[in-house]
Amino acid sequence: MRKKRFLYLMLASLFVGVLVFDVGTAQQLAKEQALTIAFDAGDVATLDPHRSATTVDRATVDMIFNGLVRYPPGDQVKVEPDLATSWRVSPDGRVWTFTLRRGVFFHPYPGNPTGYELTSEDVLYSLKRAADSKRSSYAGEYSGISFEAVDPYTVRITIDKPISDTLFLAKFASYAGGMVVCRKAIEEKGDEWFKTNPVGTGPFRFESYEPRQKTVLAANPRYFRKAPILKQVVVRYMPAVSSRELGLQTGELQIIEGLKEDKWVEKIASLPDVTVKSFGPCESQVFHFNMTQPPFSDIRVRKAVSYAISREGIAAFMGKGLAVPIYSPTQAPPAPGALTKEEAMKAGVVYEDNIAEAKRLLTEAGYPNGFKTEVIISEMASSYQKPMVAIQAQLKKAGIDMALKVVDHSSFHSLIRKDASPIVYYAAWRPNVDAFLTRFYHSDSTVVSGKKPDTNFSHYGAVDANGDGKIDSIDELIEKARWELDAKKQMALWKEAQIKLLSDVAVVPIIRLKYAFPQKSSVDLGHPLEFSWATYSPQITEETRILAK
Amino acid sequence: MFQYVVRRILQSLPILFIVLTLVFVVVRILPGDPAVAALGDYASKEAVSALREKMGLNAPLWVQYFRFLGDLCRGNLGTSIITGYPVGAQLLKVLPYTLELTFCAIFIGFLFGIPLGIPAAVRRNSLIDYFNRVFSLMGLSIPAFYLGILLMLVFSIKLRLFPVVGGGDLSSLSSNLRHLFLPALSLGLIMTAYVTRMTRSSVLNILREDYVRTARSKGISERTVLLKHALRNALIPIVALGGVYAVVLVGSSVMTEIVFSRPGLGSLMVGAIKQRDYTTLQSVMVFYSFIVVILNLMTDLIYGLIDPRIQYR
Repeated sequence: MRKKRFLYLMLASLFVGVLVFDVGTAQQLAKEQALTIAFDAGDVATLDPHRSATTVDRATVDMIFNGLVRYPPGDQVKVEPDLATSWRVSPDGRVWTFTLRRGVFFHPYPGNPTGYELTSEDVLYSLKRAADSKRSSYAGEYSGISFEAVDPYTVRITIDKPISDTLFLAKFASYAGGMVVCRKAIEEKGDEWFKTNPVGTGPFRFESYEPRQKTVLAANPRYFRKAPILKQVVVRYMPAVSSRELGLQTGELQIIEGLKEDKWVEKIASLPDVTVKSFGPCESQVFHFNMTQPPFSDIRVRKAVSYAISREGIAAFMGKGLAVPIYSPTQAPPAPGALTKEEAMKAGVVYEDNIAEAKRLLTEAGYPNGFKTEVIISEMASSYQKPMVAIQAQLKKAGIDMALKVVDHSSFHSLIRKDASPIVYYAAWRPNVDAFLTRFYHSDSTVVSGKKPDTNFSHYGAVDANGDGKIDSIDELIEKARWELDAKKQMALWKEAQIKLLSDVAVVPIIRLKYAFPQKSSVDLGHPLEFSWATYSPQITEETRILAK
Repeated sequence: MFQYVVRRILQSLPILFIVLTLVFVVVRILPGDPAVAALGDYASKEAVSALREKMGLNAPLWVQYFRFLGDLCRGNLGTSIITGYPVGAQLLKVLPYTLELTFCAIFIGFLFGIPLGIPAAVRRNSLIDYFNRVFSLMGLSIPAFYLGILLMLVFSIKLRLFPVVGGGDLSSLSSNLRHLFLPALSLGLIMTAYVTRMTRSSVLNILREDYVRTARSKGISERTVLLKHALRNALIPIVALGGVYAVVLVGSSVMTEIVFSRPGLGSLMVGAIKQRDYTTLQSVMVFYSFIVVILNLMTDLIYGLIDPRIQYR
């Protein structure tokens, strides 16, 4: 009896203790649940998710739209239901059937003050639009795919040739072309209107836009997951970093786009009530040689340049808190299929940090005193100018005099697509290794002369890269990997293609640079910030909240 | 006078025409494609090409030029080729912010510049003169945007008195004034430096004139000599250069608007350059030219009010 009484007493004390502890640690919400996030941008370009490409546009549309599936906030790989509750695939891997969530409503818009329920017609319209190159920047992702509405809540997607789950589901995730737009709003108002009046199903709905100033989003109380905690999100366009920094200090801004510079991050992290966490996806910064232009048509010269470069040195110069050396010419690990340093070393394709070898190769190639070259680079400091200044200094030690011609970012994109620079230093992120390999290294993507000119600056696949008299190409490997259904085999093929590129020194992967978005300590994003599909900024979701001080 | 104003405006039309032609050509000579700027580097060549067609950029240059002139003559400034937002509406929305900023800065400049310049001239080489000269030199040397940041550090970060983001709500006087104070002060202090310097040298010159000596010999008080005889005559070059500086101020406001994240013609123009938004950029530049023409005209008109010898023909 005593024992029982003691047990009850202990349980009661435990219950009270837990209750007290819980009450003590429960975090109080701030009275005003309004968040302002400021970006390094002059203005919006478009809030049409099938067109949006800039950091600020992607961050905004991420709050407004959903896809059939999604990657949970903060997760790069795992796929979970979004507008679709479930899906199944036919035994031959060609037909995918998605069952839609019921009771999902589009946001209200002028002429339709209550919105309307999403059905398969909307999904069908949206996917067809995403596949139309005249209305979407991502049309290439959907070639060879057809769509049909089976019933109001079922969508069937058929692909000519089956591909792996990783590649297939990525096309229908809440990212880029996979985002589902409001059919009726676009049919009634047009594509042009939709650019600055987006209508979706996401946790936040578009409220207003002031050119060059801000876009205001309001909470969508009917959001199918739950009503967002934040009542309002203001996206501000503020190109001056000092202004963003001061705005964060005064508390007028809660999250700001920071500089990708260690010292700046350290300085801002030391401010009271400010926290900074670096996160991905990171843009891979890769040095592309134009192999049609001498002296870079000679593999010995390219190898010499590669030997003259020290990735660690560049990462140290950029600041090791944000910069990480990379050995993959596509995505950086831990992305699936990206080549790691160990794998590159094992394959013997890491040529770096050896000035003596660089000089020897240059002499062998007929440049005992080095050579001069002029490279066009973008004005953007952290992604282009700063690392290239470091590389310039490293190459100088090997006798290579690389002059840098700095142009504004828009001009840079225009000029490099006209083959105007013998070397292209390019920072990019693509959603998977296939997209990277296809767009940067497939012969069809060769700038100017390719069948579908894109961003193959090295002309790989169109030239004899290693001097054996044959055209070197990874086209077959890229296509074989694309249609490979076994994920392990697919990754092996991707890695083989990357090793081939590195052994021919068509490119030199340099670093990846993490993003830093300082925020007020009171902001709780509601998910771990490791990776963001937003794509270059933290995701703001229905769980994001502002805590009381 | 009305005829004079109309004639001056008509005379300025060829200047505006030359400016807009130059702007049209220059923005297109710049490398960079608005379609690539809008779609980003991920977009395929077909998508870029389709957007260029939609933007009307595939038409020959002369067709684009005459289309632009035709639209302008009809008072149609077109729509932003990036966002599709009407340029006229954008201009009207931001114009009050730029106007209030510029006029407040000019007001501050004259309000403090003239009273500071006069004693410096009267007590030449005194402590007050040295102070004014150092102040003017600093004002002329320091960029407006830098001064803006310093003011923000003191008044917003340390004292927490004024906001640093945005232009405030035009319908709320208190919100508007709170957002206007620091940018207007940063530009106004620079304008004050210009006006102080000009007032000093102008009053110094006038004080050496015969009619000032005559006035003094008549036994008129120094105060009356200074305010009635010297200052009124000294004001002509001050106003003349004040007009020129006001034009400079419109240019300086570009950076100030960006630093304070204020809406305005400056932020509109810089954003348009970055995005290669030809239609917006052209319209803003033409509008800027128009403001310069109007400011010059206003300066000429003010001459007449100060100096009765000046007549408008």
